[in-house]
Amino acid sequence: MTDYLEILERSNEGEYISEENWDLEKVAMTARRLVKKYRLEWDRNQVVSDDPPLADAIYQAGYEMAVELGAYSRSTERIIALTQAEIDDGISNTPQTLVMGEGKDARTLYARHLGDDRPPLFFGGPPGNPIPQLIFLPNVVSYVQEPLIDLATCGTLTEVDGHIVRTGHPMEIVATRRELQFMHAALNQVGRPGMGMLGAQSSVSELGNLAASQPGYLRPCDSHVVPMLNELKMDNRNFSRVVNSLDYGMINASLPCVIVGGLGGGPPGSAVVNVASFLVANITCRAHYHLLHPIHVRYVATSTREVLWVISIVGQAFSRNAPSIIVADIYPKSGAGTKELLYETAANAIVNALTGSHLEGCGSADGRLPNCSGLEARLMAEVALASHKMKMTLHEANQWVLKLLPLYEYIFVQEGGNPGLPFDQVYDIPSIQPLSFWQKKYEEVKAELQGMGLPL
Amino acid sequence: MTENEMIAQVTQAVMDGEAGDAAEITRRALEAGLDPLMILNEGLMVGADEVGKRFERGEYFLPELMLAGRAIKAAMEVLNPSLAGKNLTSRGQGSGRVVIATVQTDIHDIGKNIVASMLTAAGYTVTDLGVDVPLKSIVDKAEEVGAQVIAISALLTTSMPYMKDLIGLLTGRGLRQKYIVLVGGASVTEAWAHDIGADGTARNAAQAVTLVRELLKSA
Repeated sequence: MTDYLEILERSNEGEYISEENWDLEKVAMTARRLVKKYRLEWDRNQVVSDDPPLADAIYQAGYEMAVELGAYSRSTERIIALTQAEIDDGISNTPQTLVMGEGKDARTLYARHLGDDRPPLFFGGPPGNPIPQLIFLPNVVSYVQEPLIDLATCGTLTEVDGHIVRTGHPMEIVATRRELQFMHAALNQVGRPGMGMLGAQSSVSELGNLAASQPGYLRPCDSHVVPMLNELKMDNRNFSRVVNSLDYGMINASLPCVIVGGLGGGPPGSAVVNVASFLVANITCRAHYHLLHPIHVRYVATSTREVLWVISIVGQAFSRNAPSIIVADIYPKSGAGTKELLYETAANAIVNALTGSHLEGCGSADGRLPNCSGLEARLMAEVALASHKMKMTLHEANQWVLKLLPLYEYIFVQEGGNPGLPFDQVYDIPSIQPLSFWQKKYEEVKAELQGMGLPL
Repeated sequence: MTENEMIAQVTQAVMDGEAGDAAEITRRALEAGLDPLMILNEGLMVGADEVGKRFERGEYFLPELMLAGRAIKAAMEVLNPSLAGKNLTSRGQGSGRVVIATVQTDIHDIGKNIVASMLTAAGYTVTDLGVDVPLKSIVDKAEEVGAQVIAISALLTTSMPYMKDLIGLLTGRGLRQKYIVLVGGASVTEAWAHDIGADGTARNAAQAVTLVRELLKSA
């Protein structure tokens, strides 16, 4: 593969372009043109696309965008041009299997195929939700104690010992290390010390990330996030994360959070940008796996029709054309303690599991509150496994999602959203078990899903 | 071509996001003797309103907003000399200066860009400092351009404390009363805005424009 130092060199020496012109004249205009060229359309009632030629066309358009545009360095305002051979090389070198964790707790992620006999794997945790220090440990335990959860992630610490955490400040180092101490404590507490982690969520700049790259914190068998900025952009912070991991040996998870309704335009253009982002991230993020996490421009949530469609078509595009390890995030609008959270999770789980992704979740309440718990992650895994077990077709998956959408879709326009309750108001902290009202809602939704025909 | 047809063309150029057309049609309209205030109020601003509404309805996306902002900017460069001395507040369009930025350490800019585009489209003079902007630079720029409004954004929870720090910096320099400070971002709530001493926040870009208009009116 292209020498990474050469990529860094291009970020210094590449063609200059202002960021606004990159956004509009490169990304937005290219997306528009490719959507027209490939006649890409979506249908609000076909949330899970069952149209293989469309998935292939989305892939081709994304490939064309990746070759044509490459990436942009926001730090230097330079284009990082990538050749077609480099993009192809990135595709051929993308891992097809990847061991995370160690010992008996290790799991092997794999590039999923449509209709794969093997079930997906599950990352449990609220990726990035701000979690108070006092409940951080029990919150992580609530996820990793779930038998169906294979890999761990967590929220972020916004205060440590009463001191506010600011990004880029020494407190970021403190927070990131403390977070990982909690993670290891949680894994030990549930007897799964070797479980692989997607960690250092409290590290936004490179500071925390660098400080946590030690076996006592993030081990080489763990992964960390290498974000790609909207859209197709890198910066020196994220280059630093990659450089650090190349030497240390840590696993890179690329995270391009494509905005659906952003520079790519509507869902088809956004899907094209997402495909291009993954292909570019093979090189610029040195991605071992990709986090599929499109964001709705107004509602944020991954459970909106538009975002579900993008997840479904991007997953299929890669499964059919360039199998890669993809982990699709679930970020529901609703928070813990609400039935809508469970319906959103179910819809997302079906889509993610059947269209070529592994699953991660849930960043409940849009990932912006500590209103999240292990119970919704349990449902995520149960629904995904049930839909896999019954060999649900894409057409059937669409019917399922269309039945679930009316059960929660109204909350997107609800004043104040549907935030639910903080973790310590839905779980009994000493026992780390759901409180009875939350358990009851879970059981009711599960019974509803069973009644609808899901073998839970 | 009638006056109404020319005005409709100005509106259409904004809706199409065609900067060259917007400037050229504005120039022709001025040459034809149209009142510059009419071009602004009935042409450019109507187009801006419509683009904003379509964005809110999910019919337009970010590029359309940004292109409309560019088109208005291009037309205003043609129009500005003719507007000198005119009363620009007749239709409620903006006449204030806004400095906008994503605060230091945060690199998320989509929400900030949408607000900047809609404020520009609403007629305000917007200085967009970009992302990861040091607090000192934000205050210095506001002083330099004579802004009335400082609008700051942060998506990351761990960057939000810098919003409080900016207000502290303004206070420390004895400038707090000089500026309307608005805060925004996915995790920003009205309670947070109130707690840190900001003048307000908005749930979306359209509300942000309304808020700027109202606060400037009552300032």
